[in-house]
Order: sequence, then C-alpha cells, then structure tokens
Amino acid sequence: MSDGILNIPRPQRDPERDRDPAPDIVPDPTPAREDGTYGPQSGRNDALLLQQVQAGSEPAMAAIYDRYSRIVYSVALRVLRDPGSAEDVLQEIFLQIWRNPIGFVPSRGSLGGWLAVVTRNRAIDALRRRRPTESVEEIALPSGFNLADDSERTLLLERARRVIHLMPPEQRKTMEMAFFDGLTHSEIAEMTGDPLGTVKTRIRSALTALRKAFQP
Amino acid sequence: MSMPDTSTETLALYVMGLLDPEERAALDAQLRHSPALRDDLALVTGDLAAFALTADMHSPAAQMRTRLLKRVARERKPAASRQRVQSEAAPESFTGYPAQPATFAKRSERYDEPSRSSRRPEPEDDERRNGFAAAMPFAGWALAAGLAFAAFYQYNARIDAESKMHAMSNEVAQVQTDSAQARAVLESLTDPSAQVVTLTRDSSTPAAPNGKAMYMPDKGILTFCASNLEPLQPYKTYELWLIPADGRDPIPAGMFKPDAHGNAAVLLPELPKGVPAKAFGVTIEDAGGAQTPTMPIILAGA
Repeated sequence: MSDGILNIPRPQRDPERDRDPAPDIVPDPTPAREDGTYGPQSGRNDALLLQQVQAGSEPAMAAIYDRYSRIVYSVALRVLRDPGSAEDVLQEIFLQIWRNPIGFVPSRGSLGGWLAVVTRNRAIDALRRRRPTESVEEIALPSGFNLADDSERTLLLERARRVIHLMPPEQRKTMEMAFFDGLTHSEIAEMTGDPLGTVKTRIRSALTALRKAFQP
Repeated sequence: MSMPDTSTETLALYVMGLLDPEERAALDAQLRHSPALRDDLALVTGDLAAFALTADMHSPAAQMRTRLLKRVARERKPAASRQRVQSEAAPESFTGYPAQPATFAKRSERYDEPSRSSRRPEPEDDERRNGFAAAMPFAGWALAAGLAFAAFYQYNARIDAESKMHAMSNEVAQVQTDSAQARAVLESLTDPSAQVVTLTRDSSTPAAPNGKAMYMPDKGILTFCASNLEPLQPYKTYELWLIPADGRDPIPAGMFKPDAHGNAAVLLPELPKGVPAKAFGVTIEDAGGAQTPTMPIILAGA
C-alpha cells in the first residue's frame, strides 16, 4: 500500500514474525481439490488465503475471488451503473490483492467489509475520473463482520437490507446519495432542499441503526 | 466515544473521501494522536461496509474470472516463494521445525537396525529360507495373476473415465455455447454502442417515450427495454415498478438512466418469484430509488 494521508499505526505484531523478512506460511489443513482449486465454501480463513496468495498460490487467489467478487462487483455496479466500468473496478481491486496481499492483512478485521468500502471509493473515483483515494485503505474494521462464510454472508446481507428497508424513505435516500452517489452533506442538502442539519442527523441515525443491527 | 468536535458524520465523510483537504488534514492529525478516535473510525467504517451490502447483488460475468486468473498467471510470482509454502506446509513438530518427511524417517529407522549381513546365520533362518524357496513359484503365479487383474481393472476404469470425460466435455461445450449466446443477447441489450432503432408508422413525427417489459412471473425473470426517454438531472433516476395482480403494493423492479439516444434497459432485476403482474409502470425518483412510486407515472402498460 502506498503512503496514505492517514498513517494509522499498525497493530502490535509478533516480533518473531517481524524479524523474518518473509511472512510465515501456515500449513493449510484444508486440501485443495484435485484440480488445485478451492471451493468457495471451504473453511479457510481470509488471512490464510492472503498468505498463500503472497506466496504465489493461484488457487488461493481464485478462492478469494469466488468469495468476494459478487460483493465487489455489486457495489461497483451500484455506484457506476455500468457493467463494463464495474468490471474494470473489479479487476483492479483483485489485481491489487494479487500484487500486494500483505497490504490487506494487518488485522483489518474483515476483508469482505473492507473490500466493500474500498470498492465504493474506487468506483466513486472512477465516476469522477480522479486519482484513487488511498487513505481509507489504512483503516481497520471491527471484527464482527465475517463475510468469508457463505451462509454468514447471506445472513449479513439480509440483515443490512432489512435495516435499510425499515428506515424512513428520506433517510435511506440520504444515505444512498452520500454513499453510492458520493455526494457531500451540503450537496445533498442543496439537491433535496432539506436543511444541512437534517441531512447530518439522517446519516448519523442511519449509521447508528446499522451498527446496532450488526452488534452481536 | 469520539472526540467532542469529531462527529460520526465527519468520520463517515472521511471514510468516503468527501472531506475538504483542510478538514481531512486536521482529522488526520487528530487520528494520529487519538486511539479512541481511531476506534470510532473503525466502527464507522464497519457501518458503511454494512451499508455497502445493501446494494442489489449481481454476479460478474463468468469470463471475468477467467480473465483475472489469466492475468494473475501472467504476473506469476517467483517460484521460490511457492516452494517455500510447500516445504513449510509439512506438519510441524513440537520444536516448531517442520517434521521430517515420513519416507526419510522410515529409512533412518532402518539404518538404526543392526545390519542383516553383519549377523551370523542361524538354523531358523535356513528353515525360513527353505519355506520361501518352496513358496516362490506360487508367489510368482499369484503376483502375475494379481498384476493381470490390476491391469484389467485399470483398463476398464480408464475406458469408463474416458467415456465420462467425453460426455462431460460435450456437456461443457453445450453450456459454453448456451452461455455465449446468452451473453450475446445481453450485450445487444446493454452495450451502449449497439444500434437501437424504434420502428414507427410515421418517421416525421418525434417518437414518444415507450417501453417493453417481458416478464416470466413463475421465475421472477424480467427484461425491460425503453426508448425515446427524456434525459434526467444527475440526481434523478427512472424506476420501473411491477404492480402485482393481487392488489399488493408496487414492487420496485430496477432503476435506470437513458443513454444519449434515450435508450435504456433493465435486465433481470431481483424480483420475488410467482407474482403475476397486473401492470408495469415507470416513475422518476431521486437517485437511489424509492420504495413507493412517486407520481406521476411516466410510462404504464398492462
């Protein structure tokens, strides 16, 4: 990862690991299929897959793609509304993982959640044809966000949608304008005619509702 | 939780890259010195990740996976690091070092035994040798029979595998053909460079906006094409609605924006299965869409 504007100190690491110039490779208890691929529902965790990607494992890269391509593509498509451009963002994001997987590892909590946010930002950058904003790529996520498992992922998707549909339409629309259309509070207030304070309150309440829904 | 002058909205704007450079720099400075604020930032990022998941889920085209993996193979990493994985993938002993491979361990155990040639022959050894000599011809026949059986079994298994593989490759070829055809149809509907012509009786009058919906209620499959649509302001979108025949509330069936020629399409939106439609309608909504249609209805058809 290139130097971002925000340089949040990385979490404490094992000094033994830091001394070793190459990352430790953990033996993998989950065998690959006969063709060398891994199923999308295999029990391998993201950190292990990323370590294997770091070591050049193409099946591990395919497993990460199978696990998260739908989320990445859907978020990019929602922002860009163009399948071709969304595919470009999809390829860019996964090539970045292939080229620098260790950049994604350090205790970011959830690779899937992190990818969703980074994809949104890349798509907005593509929409505005500006250079990628990389500062947020340094941000960690809370760990209660397990998108690696298929059933867990479906559950989280349903929960997020339920929360959104329970919100008043104006609040949902405000959040969507901010997140998926990349509009600032002031721009939203200008477009909708709502007071700036109302826009901020709606966004804050929406985020609080989402957080409550995802708390264990 | 957060510092008094740093609100959740500000952190959300920071994560979304929507702060002014000065505001961003100020927040960067605060974040460097405040672990609590960094925790808040992580929570807000988690909230936004949750919100990202509310986007309608679509799978990328199958060839994207192939294309990416080809690219990945082209940018293959040095073999040394892969070999390292294989060597380290051997089970670890309690000392933390990789355990010896099993074959090597067995060989070393054999080396620990006293050498057979160094021992003196004993009478029991002679008896055992005579028994072996008597059994040898039978053992040879038994071995030959076993080998013949194994060869026959292997041959049959190979023939069986070949025929299965042939059937599977035919099946894959059929699926690939079907997939290519489906993709071509989708491309013709979605590619902005595709030529779209609306046929009318009198070409001198400007054509009115129109749309055509093709819907399979039992499968929840819907395809919608519209033409001659008016352009929209950037923060507005057209939204298609399915009006159920049983009188339930209209169901949102996808948002769309027309291209420069006024054409648009909605392909395979997420719809519940088994909902017969009384009609379809199109409204103009704010960007992001709505859960209930906003009047007026721009296009309608039953």
